[in-house]
Amino acid sequence: MPLPAKAFQRWLHGIAPQASTADICRISGVKRTTLAQQLVRGKVAESTVVSISRAFNINPVAALAAFENYGELGGSPMLPTAAELVSQIATMDLLKAVIARSAESSRAGDADQPQPAPPLTPVPHATSVKNWVDAIDDGELRHRVSAATGIAPQNYSAQLTANRLTPELAIATAKAAGTGLTGGLVASGMITEAEAGWPRGARQAALDALSDGELAALAGDRLQSLGKTLKRQEQDHEQTKTIWENLG
Amino acid sequence: MIEILQWSTLAICCAAAVARIPSAVRGENRSLFYIFVLATLAILLSIDGPYIAIDRLLGGTNVANLILRFVIFAVIFFIGLRFIRGFGAHEARRWLLGLPGLLVFGVIAAVMVVFFIMMDSNGSSAGLVAVSQRSERNAQLVEYYGAAGRAYPAYVSLVLLPAMAKAVASRLPVLVRAGALLLAVGGVCLAVSLLFPFIPAQLQSLRFIINYGAALCFVLGLAAFWAARVRATQSNPRRSSTAK
Repeated sequence: MPLPAKAFQRWLHGIAPQASTADICRISGVKRTTLAQQLVRGKVAESTVVSISRAFNINPVAALAAFENYGELGGSPMLPTAAELVSQIATMDLLKAVIARSAESSRAGDADQPQPAPPLTPVPHATSVKNWVDAIDDGELRHRVSAATGIAPQNYSAQLTANRLTPELAIATAKAAGTGLTGGLVASGMITEAEAGWPRGARQAALDALSDGELAALAGDRLQSLGKTLKRQEQDHEQTKTIWENLG
Repeated sequence: MIEILQWSTLAICCAAAVARIPSAVRGENRSLFYIFVLATLAILLSIDGPYIAIDRLLGGTNVANLILRFVIFAVIFFIGLRFIRGFGAHEARRWLLGLPGLLVFGVIAAVMVVFFIMMDSNGSSAGLVAVSQRSERNAQLVEYYGAAGRAYPAYVSLVLLPAMAKAVASRLPVLVRAGALLLAVGGVCLAVSLLFPFIPAQLQSLRFIINYGAALCFVLGLAAFWAARVRATQSNPRRSSTAK
C-alpha cells in the first residue's frame, strides 16, 4: 500500500523544511524522475521513504511509522525468533557452518582455539523471503494472510518464490504469525537487520545455538530445495532452447 | 475497410518474409522463412486483383483457388510441425504426423478436389463468388468445397490448442507466451471459421475479419517467438553460443 503523496510531503517538510526536491534526490540517491512520477500519481513507494530517511540519518522503521498505514511499526519492537534469524542465513553460509563444525570436531584433540567464524553474508539472501515465511509458518499462515489481505494464494506464493514481498504483505504476514512486525521487511531487503533493531551478531548466535543435527537437517532441506530450483531453471532453459531452435 | 485489412495483412506477411531472409541465408530455421513466404502467397491469392491476374495465367478455371487451399494447408501444417517440435507437444504429434493426422489430411484433400472437379469452375472469381451464383448445384458444391477447405486448418488448430494453452500458462519468457497466445487466438479463429455457413448474410464481413485475423495472429505469433529469441540472445551473449 504505497503512501499518499500528501502525507509524504508533510513528512518531508517535517524532516527537511529547507531542502528542495532536487536536494532530496541528490542526497538520497532517489531518481528525480521516479520521485516526480510517484508524486504526480499521488502514491509514494515505501522504498523512497526508506532511502530518504537513511540519507537524513533517521531510522526507516520510525520514518514509516510516521505514516498512518504503518503506524503499527511505532510500537516497541519485538525481537526476532531464533527460527527467523536462522532463516535469514544464506544457504551457503549454513553449508560452510556444517563443514566448519565437522573440521572442528576432527581437530578436537589439538585443543586449539576455535577458529572465528567467517562473517555471514548480509540479508537478504537468494531465498530469504520464502525461508522467512516457512520459519514462522504454523501451517495455516498463508491461509490467514490471504484472508486478511485479500491477496489470492497463488499470487502470494508467486511473490515468495520470486523472493519478493511488498511491505504491506510483509507486515500482514508478520502480524498473522504474531512475530516482530519488521521481520518481513528485513527478509525482503527493504530495511537492514540493524535498522529493524536486530542485535548485532544475532544471526551468528542463532546459528551457533543450533545442534549439529538441527544444522545438518536444515542445510539438507535448503540444499534440496536449491537443487529443485536449479533443476527447474535448467529444464526451462532447455525448453526455451528447443523453442528457439524450432521457432526462433 | 476489408481491403485495408487484406492489403495490410499482405504487407505484414511480406515484411516478415523479407525480414527473415538474412537468417534464412545464414541457414537458421529456413522453414520459418518458407512459412512466411507461403503465407504471403496465400494472402496474395485471397485478394481479388492478384487472384484474378494469377488465375487468368493458369487458364481461368479457378485452379488458383485450389492452389490457395493447399498453400493454406501447407502453412498450417508446417506451423503445427514447428510448434510441436518447439514445445515438445508429443500428445499432439500423432494427430498431425501420425496415421490419424495423415488420414484426416488425405480424406479432406480428396473430398475437396472431388468437389472442385464436380463444379463448373470456369471464369476466374475470387472466393468463387461468380461460380456459386451460376446455378443451384454450383452454389452447393462451392459451399461444401469451402467447408472442406476450412476443415483441415480447423482440425490442426484444435489439435494444437491444448499445447498452446499450456505454453501460455507456463513459466516461459513473456514474449514466448505472448506468441503462443497469438497462435492460440489464430487457432480459435480457424476453428470458428467452420461455423461460417451459419453466419447470417448481412455479417459477411465477419468472415473476412476472422480469416485475416487468423492469418495476422499466426504471423505475429511467429514473429513474437523470433523477437523473443533475438532479445534473449542480445541480453545474454553467453547464451547465444548455445541457443543458435
